[in-house]
Amino acid sequence: MPPEGTDGWNESAGGLAAPSDGGVEVYDLPLSLPLQMIDGNAWGILSIPKLREVRLLHDAPWVRSLGRLEPAIGTEGWKFPAPPIALSPPSPSPKEAEVADPPLPDTDAHSPLATRIRLQPTAETVHVKDRLLFLLQPPLDGLFQGRQLQVPFAPFPYQLEGIAFLVPRSAALLADEMGLGKTCQAILALRLLFYQGVVRRALVVCPKSLVHNWVRELKLWAPDVPLEVIEGEPEQRRSTWLISNCPLKLVNYETLTRDVEWAADSRVFYDVVILDEAQRIKNKDSKTSQAARALPRGRSWALTGTPIENHPDDLVHLFEFLDPGRIPPDTPPKRLPLYTADSILRRTKETVQSDMPPKIFRDVHVDLTPAQRDAYRRAEEEGVVHLNSLGDTITVQHVFQLVMRLKQICNFDPLTGESAKLEQLRTDMEEVADSGHKAIIFSQWVEPLQILARHLEPFGPLQYHGRIPPAERSAILERFRQDPRCHVLLMSYGTGSVGLNLQCANYVFLFDRWWNPAVEDQAINRAHRVGQRHPVTVTRFLAQDTIEHRIAEILESKRKIFLDLLAQADKPSRFGLTEEEIFSLFDIKARPRRHPGAANH
Amino acid sequence: MSEQPLALAAPLASGAGSLDAPPLTLGFLTILQDVTGWIGGYLVTNSWGRPLEFRLTTAVQPNRVQKALYGPTLQEYVFADLIGKTLVEKSSTPVSLIVTDLVPLWTLRKRIPIPLVIVASHPMTNSSATELLYLEHPRARQGVWLPVWASSDGESIKALLDQIDPAVELSEPFSRIREAVAEARKLGANHRAA
Repeated sequence: MPPEGTDGWNESAGGLAAPSDGGVEVYDLPLSLPLQMIDGNAWGILSIPKLREVRLLHDAPWVRSLGRLEPAIGTEGWKFPAPPIALSPPSPSPKEAEVADPPLPDTDAHSPLATRIRLQPTAETVHVKDRLLFLLQPPLDGLFQGRQLQVPFAPFPYQLEGIAFLVPRSAALLADEMGLGKTCQAILALRLLFYQGVVRRALVVCPKSLVHNWVRELKLWAPDVPLEVIEGEPEQRRSTWLISNCPLKLVNYETLTRDVEWAADSRVFYDVVILDEAQRIKNKDSKTSQAARALPRGRSWALTGTPIENHPDDLVHLFEFLDPGRIPPDTPPKRLPLYTADSILRRTKETVQSDMPPKIFRDVHVDLTPAQRDAYRRAEEEGVVHLNSLGDTITVQHVFQLVMRLKQICNFDPLTGESAKLEQLRTDMEEVADSGHKAIIFSQWVEPLQILARHLEPFGPLQYHGRIPPAERSAILERFRQDPRCHVLLMSYGTGSVGLNLQCANYVFLFDRWWNPAVEDQAINRAHRVGQRHPVTVTRFLAQDTIEHRIAEILESKRKIFLDLLAQADKPSRFGLTEEEIFSLFDIKARPRRHPGAANH
Repeated sequence: MSEQPLALAAPLASGAGSLDAPPLTLGFLTILQDVTGWIGGYLVTNSWGRPLEFRLTTAVQPNRVQKALYGPTLQEYVFADLIGKTLVEKSSTPVSLIVTDLVPLWTLRKRIPIPLVIVASHPMTNSSATELLYLEHPRARQGVWLPVWASSDGESIKALLDQIDPAVELSEPFSRIREAVAEARKLGANHRAA
């Protein structure tokens, strides 16, 4: 409102009171009057003589800063290795379009998310980028359900956990019980690393007898990873070791040891080296162990169901390959888990697969035939006399010779060829064959297997042992799997106890017993492994009142200790027979002469 | 860790697809809140859900004056302009589709030329629900939503979703982002970024 008269200004003008002390009146007038207000009438009012002079402000008004109006932001990012190929899933053909998508793990929108199996960085993963790369990987269960990684069938959840264990570790010991699919887990973990772009070259080392099995498993679980087997003449092997750029190479322990000079060549670096049946390097001074340790490598993985066959030192020597120097010298066995626990994963069938068909043990105690009993008694009496006569020149080898002799008599009478076990076996095999099942028979010798082959002719026997040329072995196993007329496979512990998948068999016969329960378990688990749908019956033949019985009792007590091993229950001593236990098999007084400081092996 | 990708043999069976078309990439964008403020996390994956790039922001904590001045527009400004747009633009991997689990981020679509979908169970609880359009797709357990005014994106979005591997579930990567943001902050990554 414009002022209408002097009274208005004297009393109040827009809240501004005119001072009345006769001094200089200062009016804080608005500086921008509307132009329409500045007409003659208005100026007339302002030019009233009574109005005193008004001084305008000279200083700029005080302004308080409110700070930055836009919130600050910064970012940090990481780029990851691209998968080697980024293929767009194909457009479904009309026929395919009718097929429903595989069910998602959690299709109920209202249910909490199902537990997903994810990669987790380990303590040894120190770089932020590497840790994030693991954390940001999609759940493993989804990887194998979609179209990205083709697999013949989805791995079991515990196998996914095994893969999640292997992938982030540079030192890993997968010590699952035999039959849980260590090979499959290792292959899929390797394949994932190839696909993540973090691995370009890998080497698998396995026993000679398992090369064909590995080739088969690799074609099954990683058909897209090119593979080359290191074999053949020296020049060919040298070329494969040093020149070939094949991402994945496979070699057996014997060839590795022979070719250690090429294998250890620093020009060829392996991002991953996998040792299958890694108990083969338990003796750290062996050439095999030295060759394995000489391999130039980034990640070291070991697969074995029996990381400790005889002594905790077996584990220490395995870690000499996995992570040299991790275990300080002279570490007491009870403290080993402090250094090894994070790098070992061991599961048993009982813990991971409650729906695994049962394994039924059946101990068949046979009475020796009269001819066998006579031969046995004579051999034992003469043997004990002989051992006692040796006095302090006796060695464990002398006792072994007698044990072997007696065990062979328990199998067959050397003169007549009679066998109480064979009679029982023949009866059992008729039942097995009549029901359309298949059986595996194990012995520690080849000769009994050859004799059994003759006697079990009606059941289509096949033989798989050290006298069968390696080139023929795969075909024998394939025929056993496929040919319905072949009901029995005769195997030696040495050749057939590790790595083979024979789930087609539901019966296992241990015609004679091995010295070490771990080896027996390996043999049994050729049939009782993942993929087996029926119960597996294990028949262990024992000749009554013989050396077999005495050995079995000792081994049974040892087996219990073995099962407790990785639970760190206590320091295990040995899992085969100790020297003292071998001497105590017979009533002999003689003992070997001891040298001061001699080790007791 | 090697950066050099390896040329593997092409997967067998139905894994082979056209190599001519640009590969599908997905940008999963979310915003987390803790005592330090709002933190953006952005994961770029291929159509299999494998990570290609990850980026996170420093914590954004508007002060009282900023809150007063931005008023009700503050959240949209911080979510869409400040965090969302910054993350998308700073990323060096272009994406075909942006997926978010936050309804307030739908306004980001107005600021970038990339289709955007929201995976959420019950966006109706939000006042903006009427502005969202539901799109049913098996890749999203909870359902997919997009702004009504961007409904022209619908066909292209559906075509993109069809290309995603069946094993990918669109709400799953957000749990990865949360873990990765926590890990990165634990390791002090964003202090270097600030």
